[in-house]
Amino acid sequence: MTVISALQNVHVKGSFGNFENKSENELLKIKELKNLLIVQVVQYRNSSIKIDDINFNKLKFVNQSQTVVSNENVRVLWNSPNNWLLISNKKELLKEIYSTFNENDFAITDLSHSKATIELEGPYVKEVLKKGCPFNFNILTKNMSINSAYNGISFIVDMVENEPEKVRIFSLRSFGESLYHSITDASLEFGYKCN
Amino acid sequence: MLYIFCPHCGSRSQNEFAYGGDATVKRPELNKEISDQEWNNFVYLRKSPRGKHLELWHHISGCRQWIKVERDTSTHEIFKTYKADELTK
Repeated sequence: MTVISALQNVHVKGSFGNFENKSENELLKIKELKNLLIVQVVQYRNSSIKIDDINFNKLKFVNQSQTVVSNENVRVLWNSPNNWLLISNKKELLKEIYSTFNENDFAITDLSHSKATIELEGPYVKEVLKKGCPFNFNILTKNMSINSAYNGISFIVDMVENEPEKVRIFSLRSFGESLYHSITDASLEFGYKCN
Repeated sequence: MLYIFCPHCGSRSQNEFAYGGDATVKRPELNKEISDQEWNNFVYLRKSPRGKHLELWHHISGCRQWIKVERDTSTHEIFKTYKADELTK
C-alpha cells in the first residue's frame, strides 16, 4: 500500500537559497521519505517479558535513551522507557512485528500514515537543526536518536550517517508542512537542493 | 532558559517540558468519606512557597514521561529531579 505524501503541497524539486557557485557536495540535500513502515512498540507496564529476550530481525532491543539499533532492514529507535519506534523500507516486516511481539505484552501501532518524514544530508545538517532546537547536536553521532522540539514542533531526529551527515526527522503528519518550512528557511543561508 | 535533567533522557531545555503543578498534593483515598471542604482544598488550594518546591513536569516533547523536579521558586535553581514513581521524602 502506498502512503500518500504528507509534504506534496510544499516539497518542490530544485535548488534554493545560497546555492550558486557551489558544487553538489557543498549543498544540503532535502528530501521527503515516503512509503516507510513506522511502527510504535510499547511494552505494557504489567508485562513480565525481558526485553533482552526479544529477538526481532536479528536485533536486540535496548532500553536506553538516545539509542538506535539497526541492520539493513530496520532501525529501532528508543522513544521513551519501554517504547520503541521501528522504521523500515520493507512493509512486509509488519507481519514479523505482530508475530514477534505478543499482544498481551506489547501495544503495536502502525504510524506509517501519521508521520511526515524529511531526510537531510550534507555538510550543514547539524547547523540547520541547531537553529530551531536547543539540543546539543554536537554530541549526536551515528545510530543515536532524540525526541525534541524544532521551533515548538515536536520531532524525532534519527542520525543515520556521520560522513556525510545524514538525518531523518519525523514529526506528526499535521505538523509536517510547518516543520518543512522551518527546516527549509533555516537551510536558505547554506543553499539546499530538494530531490 | 532553564535546563531540566530528565531522569530518562538527560539534560534538556525547558521548552521540551510542560509544567504540571505541585507534586506534593495527594488525592484523597478512594472510597474515603471526605467533606466538601477537604475536596475543595484538594482541587483548588495550593501553597505558593518561596524557596524549594517539589513540582511535576511533563517531558512532552521528549520521552513523554512525568517527572518530579525540586526547584527553588525564587532563584529557579534545580536541585534534583526524580522519576514520577520515585519516593522523594
